[in-house]
Amino acid sequence: MKDPQVLRAPGDAAPTRAAMQALVVQGLGKTYGEGAGAKVVLRDIELRVEPGQLVCIVGPSGAGKTTLLRCLAGLQPSTTGSISIGGRVITEPPLEIGLVFQDYGRSLLPWMRAIDNVAFPLQGKGMAAAERLRIAQDALQSVGLGDAGQRYPWQLSGGMQQRVAIARAIAYQAEILLMDEPFASVDAQTRFDLEDLLLALRRKLGISVVVVTHDIDEAVYLSDRVTVLSGTPASVVETVDVVLDAPREQIATKADPRFAEYRSRIMRRIRRPEPTAVSREQP
Amino acid sequence: MNRQTLHAAQALWLPVLLVALWWWGSAGSTSIYFPPLSKIVALTWEDLVRGPLPGFIAFSLGNLAAGLALAIVAGISLGTVLGWYPLALRLLDPVLQFFRAMPKVALVPLFIGALGIGALPKIYSIALGCVWPILLNTIDGVRGVEPGQLEMARAYRIPLALRLWRVILPAAAPQIVAGVRVALAIGVVVMVVSEIYGAQQGVGYYVLNASRAFDVAQTWGGTLLIGLIGYLLSTSFVIAEQWFLRWHYLRARVLGLNA
Repeated sequence: MKDPQVLRAPGDAAPTRAAMQALVVQGLGKTYGEGAGAKVVLRDIELRVEPGQLVCIVGPSGAGKTTLLRCLAGLQPSTTGSISIGGRVITEPPLEIGLVFQDYGRSLLPWMRAIDNVAFPLQGKGMAAAERLRIAQDALQSVGLGDAGQRYPWQLSGGMQQRVAIARAIAYQAEILLMDEPFASVDAQTRFDLEDLLLALRRKLGISVVVVTHDIDEAVYLSDRVTVLSGTPASVVETVDVVLDAPREQIATKADPRFAEYRSRIMRRIRRPEPTAVSREQP
Repeated sequence: MNRQTLHAAQALWLPVLLVALWWWGSAGSTSIYFPPLSKIVALTWEDLVRGPLPGFIAFSLGNLAAGLALAIVAGISLGTVLGWYPLALRLLDPVLQFFRAMPKVALVPLFIGALGIGALPKIYSIALGCVWPILLNTIDGVRGVEPGQLEMARAYRIPLALRLWRVILPAAAPQIVAGVRVALAIGVVVMVVSEIYGAQQGVGYYVLNASRAFDVAQTWGGTLLIGLIGYLLSTSFVIAEQWFLRWHYLRARVLGLNA
């Protein structure tokens, strides 16, 4: 078992924090407006992410996945229910969470170089320049952008910008990564590279990850567990534990017959969103 | 001919042509109101080298600098608050619109009357004229900050001061600088006008004095000089802006946008 306090992989200069706390969502609901015109977006969401787990939230577009993620990140208050980390209910963006947005173009600051962007949350924590730049450089290294620190975000390709955004969340020492359709804005090849990068980082750092995605293949490939969100208002229609060989590999894993079965099952569930109790089945 | 020379030639051909035409067109002029350009230049040069002009220019430009600095500080500070808190903007908007529409030069006599002659009323007049484009552009710039960037700052718990310094103001900077550019042009006008009432030095005073004494050549000279000063200030500003906002212009070029 890894040392729970500090995780050092060979070649790492800076320690990173392995996840130790579970993210628990209970009875979460979100309603916009009041009275007759009220729009119920989320209803009775139950979700649990154990330390070090990778959970994907899938559902059709407009289902409310992004709303759920924003509530998890503390950016929006929920109407009902609670979100807690390690037993502590969160009401504002918590320290433990690093958010990676879908639109990297609008979340990376164009007047700062890549390394300064990555170091920015640490600057917000009051860390001194020398140390935060060192940690930022390590984070860039771990996403394969060790040489790109001095470039501006708009000088980088889409995939590289998203990696900078991931490096930023890692440098922040977040133990839980929340990602909102992080690979939707890049091309398919880059998407595979970024998926594998995410898996490698999770393995190396021991962080928990929650990924919101509409791509079912991606969800099955990445996850330990898939939470299927569907219907209007959106609720959890099924939770599927994904049992596939580790480490995942783009060709071998997707050739595994169990992969296709998981995929069909989830797709069927999205199309027929009758809510069931949380079920853990093996195909 | 290399590229630099070519660009210089493209920019300068018309001014050179116009000056040359004027010079030779007015060479033998006996008209009172249109003296020979050669005489205008000679007189002005004389005043620059031996006369009071250098001191006057320093006085006027010093006032302009002080007034503009005051306007920048006040405009950006107030503009940031109003841009950030919509309620504050709504509360102050009617008053802002009133002052914005008023020709500020009309207030100059008031300032002189209240504060007397000397540098201070001129500085305040310039500041009052300059603050509006800066204020309004700052408000727009702050309101126009990308929501994604603000959300990121919130998600990563960036404290307000750092958010202001490294997110909001840099994001609004292109708008704010555009406001300062306009303010500079206005400032030059107010700088001259403020010396029409109760002044004893300055380029505006120089022109006014010359016109009162019916020294037409000197009046022309002073006016041309003011135009030249305004042009040089404007050009210097553009160069400074290209450096200050280089990330913005480089990015626009890379992304293929119109800067």
